[in-house]
Formats: sequence, structure tokens, C-alpha cells
Amino acid sequence: MGRRLTGLRRVTVSGMKNFFRNSWLTVAATAVMVVSLTIIASAVVLNVTAKNAISELSKNLQISIYLKDSASQNMINQLTQDLKSNKAVASVTFVSKSDAQKQFDQTFQSDPTLVAGLQILGTNTLPASLEVSLTDLGQINQVGAVPNEAKYSGIVDSVTIGKTDVKKTIARAASAQHFITVASVVMAIIFGLVSMLIIFNTIRMAIFTRADEIKIMKLIGATPTFIRGPFLVEASMYGLIAGLISSGIVLAGIFSLGEKISNQAEFTKTYHYFTSAKIIAAMIIGLIVVGIVVGVFSSLLAMKKHLRLKTW
Amino acid sequence: MILLDRVTKNYNKRGTALKSISLHVEPKEFVIIVGPSGAGKSTLLKLLTREEKPTSGKIIVGGIDYETLKDRKIPLLRRKIGVVFQDFKLLANKNVYENVSFALEVVGMGNKEIARTIPKVLDIVGLTGKELSYPSELSGGERQRVAIARAIARQPKILIADEPTGNLDADHAWDVIRVLEKINKYGTTVILTTHNQEIVNKLKRRVITIRDGQVVSDKAGGKYK
Repeated sequence: MGRRLTGLRRVTVSGMKNFFRNSWLTVAATAVMVVSLTIIASAVVLNVTAKNAISELSKNLQISIYLKDSASQNMINQLTQDLKSNKAVASVTFVSKSDAQKQFDQTFQSDPTLVAGLQILGTNTLPASLEVSLTDLGQINQVGAVPNEAKYSGIVDSVTIGKTDVKKTIARAASAQHFITVASVVMAIIFGLVSMLIIFNTIRMAIFTRADEIKIMKLIGATPTFIRGPFLVEASMYGLIAGLISSGIVLAGIFSLGEKISNQAEFTKTYHYFTSAKIIAAMIIGLIVVGIVVGVFSSLLAMKKHLRLKTW
Repeated sequence: MILLDRVTKNYNKRGTALKSISLHVEPKEFVIIVGPSGAGKSTLLKLLTREEKPTSGKIIVGGIDYETLKDRKIPLLRRKIGVVFQDFKLLANKNVYENVSFALEVVGMGNKEIARTIPKVLDIVGLTGKELSYPSELSGGERQRVAIARAIARQPKILIADEPTGNLDADHAWDVIRVLEKINKYGTTVILTTHNQEIVNKLKRRVITIRDGQVVSDKAGGKYK
């Protein structure tokens, strides 16, 4: 046990010495990995932000079915059932004439003239309605067509499907999310490969530089683990440092940019989500782990090709 | 201690290096292997350190049969065999103490034990006081003695010295040979290859002559003609 610990300590110290020995290569390898990890993390953050924004905006997208005053409760129930039978419908809420009046009064309480004007009419002119919210926005026109069927013409006065500007915003956000996903996957693959190539090369250089040392180590009875260890430690250091730097960059971005837009309803939840301690910790650990995995994988490839531990 | 039974080594491009060699070396023996360049001496030593595998034949060293030796056990075998090379193979960026210490660190020895061991081995090779010198500050003979110190620090049962005097003048060569004799006296089996006729003839030890991959003579107290 004591010998193992001593061995582990020596392997770690040796790996760290290698890391600092060739400073230019170390900086280059770390920098490229920082770029790759930052792209990956930013892509995840932007994707989640876009997804949350879309779902937040979607809440505003409802179908309002205005009913005639003469509509019978039976027909209203039938329409409600008909709407609910579609899987894309999340809920159907009946708003009676008096509820509509209350909502109107509440909405316009700051505008007493308008409220007073309506009172002059003497009767409640606002129609009762069914407010339909959806889970799948792609189904909005199909669901909107239900109340327009001929059998409901006796009870339905008019149908409003969302607000045009909201629909456009959602469409833009969805296409942006799609673009972000595709672009970030492509960029992450390109930079990930470049990063692996550079680490591969760095470790290869380290192997060549230490060729004599490695040969002697083999001849005096070092185990393959003892020889490989320092290279794995060195590669893990790239991952660790790049992971820390890139999570710093991404978090700085979230805090500085996020704060500016966090007062907008569609971003509030996302901002609080990404600035919670749990998610910050997960992001830092996640980026370090990804960095270490990429580093270790590249160095294993370099060692397999150049260390020739098979011909012992 | 060492047994070779009809060992043959063929290289695809260079032809046959060793042709059905059989040898037996007793524990604590001092054996000199001589022969012209390309006779197969280096191949023989590489077979003993398991850097090469024989094409056919049996090799048993210290009770370990190489035929059944698994690759992962090779480091353990190497710890029983010390090797010294003609070109020393010291690490230029490490001083004498660190070069010897390196060999002990590799096998997992603790720092305290290393600190106790190194003065003893430096005393055996006559390098006490040179701990902090770098290889570039030492003479050829001193460098070779550092290499010997590194090889014997782990107390191997066998010490293989491949032309250790090849790059040294006569005085330094004898310094190295005397150290090898001392180590042998302490109980380590020594296998020495050399071209130096004077050394072979004065040592009066068992001399095995190899020519064209075959043992042409094997004589106790032999001479190199």
C-alpha cells in the first residue's frame, strides 16, 4: 500500500513536471481545449435558454373561442370534450361572461374611463369563451379548426388563434435553436478533433523527448503503469485547467449577459436555473470531466502509437 | 542461474544471429563473452533481458522460464537483472544521486530507504562525494561507475555488462572491471562482454567465445586470442 502511494505520488509529480516543462506546447494545447469546451458549454446554455424561452412564450399562445350568448351548455360541453380529445391540447378553461367582466375590470382598472364607458352600456357585452392552451404548437391550426366546424356554428361567435407577433417570435426562436444545435455540434466536433490532435502531438513530443528515460525505465523494471502514468497525468492537467478556464468564461458570460435580460419573462427562469449553485458546480465538474476524458483519450492514442510498450 | 538450451534467434532481414546455443552459468560466476562484432553477443544479452524473444530453444534465468513468462511479469524479471551499457545511458539532466535514485523510484522504493541505499552503492563503485555532480562533469570511467551503481542499487542477482569498457581508456577500464569483480565477490553473477584482450587475459575467468552465432569455445581461466 505504502509503495503504491509512493508510486502514485511520483507518477503525479513527474506528470506535472512534464506539463510545465514545455510551456509553449502546453499553452497551445490548453488554449485549443478551452475553445472547444467553451463552444460545447455555450451550445448547451444557448440550447436550454432557447428551449425555455420557447416554452415560456408558448404559454401566451392560446386559442380563444368566443361563444354566442345563446350557446347551450350541452353544446359547450361537447365542444370542450372534442377539443380535449386532441393530444396537443393541454387544457380547456371556460370563462363565463361575468368572469370575462372581472378580468376586463382588473386589466383596465388603471383606465377608469374605459371601465366607465362600458358601464354606460348597462349590460355586460363581453362574451363567454373557452381558452385552449396547447402542448404542441405544431397542432395549433388543426385544433383551431375544431370550433369552426359546421356543427358548432350555432354557439361559436369567433375564434382567435394566438397573437401573430408571438407566433413569429416563437418561430424565430425555434429556428435559432435549430441553428445553434447544428452549428455547435459541427464546431464542437471540429474543435474537439483539433484539440485531440494537438494533445496527441504534445504527448508524442513528450515521448520522443523522454525516449532515453523510457528505454532505461523499461530495462530497469518499471511497470507499464509507471511509464504511462506521467503522460496520463500531463494530459489530465490539460483537461483540468481547460475545464476550469472555460467554465469561468461561460459563467462570466451567463452572469454579465444574463443579468441584462433576466428581467424579461422568457429568460428569468433560465437565468435563475444557470446561476444556481447546483448547476454552476455541475457545469464546472462536467467541463473538467469532458476535458480530462478528451486529454486522456488523446494521450492513450499517442502512447499506443509511440510508446511501444508491447515490445517490452 | 542461467540456462540456455539450443537457443536460436533468426531475424527476418539480417538472417540468423544465434544458432542453437547452449550455455549454463552457475550462481556467483563471472563469465566473459568474447567474439568479433556481429558474432551474436548483443543478441545473446538481449535474449537474457527479454528485449528479444528466441526463435526456438529454452531460456531459464533465476528459475524463470521465459517461455511461460507473461509480458506483465517482465518488469519483475528485469528487477532481478542489472544492465550496464557501453554508452552508459545516464540521464543528462539528473545528477549522480538522482540517476541512481531514479532506478530505485521506478521499483517503488521509499525515499528513506533510497537515502540509506545510495551512499552504500556509491561507496562500492568509489563515487562517494560525487553525489551532486552531473554526468557531463564526470570522466568516462566515473560515468560508467554511476551506471554500475544504478544497475546494482536494486541488488540484482545478475549483472549484465555489455562492453562497459568499450569507450574508456585503459586506466578507467580497469577501474570499472575492479568494481565488477568486487560486485561478483559480494555474490552477484556477472556476465561481461568485451573486445579488450588484455582485460580478458588478465582476469583469468571463464571465457565463452562466440563466432557466427555459435559457441566455439568455453573455457575456465580462458584467454582471448
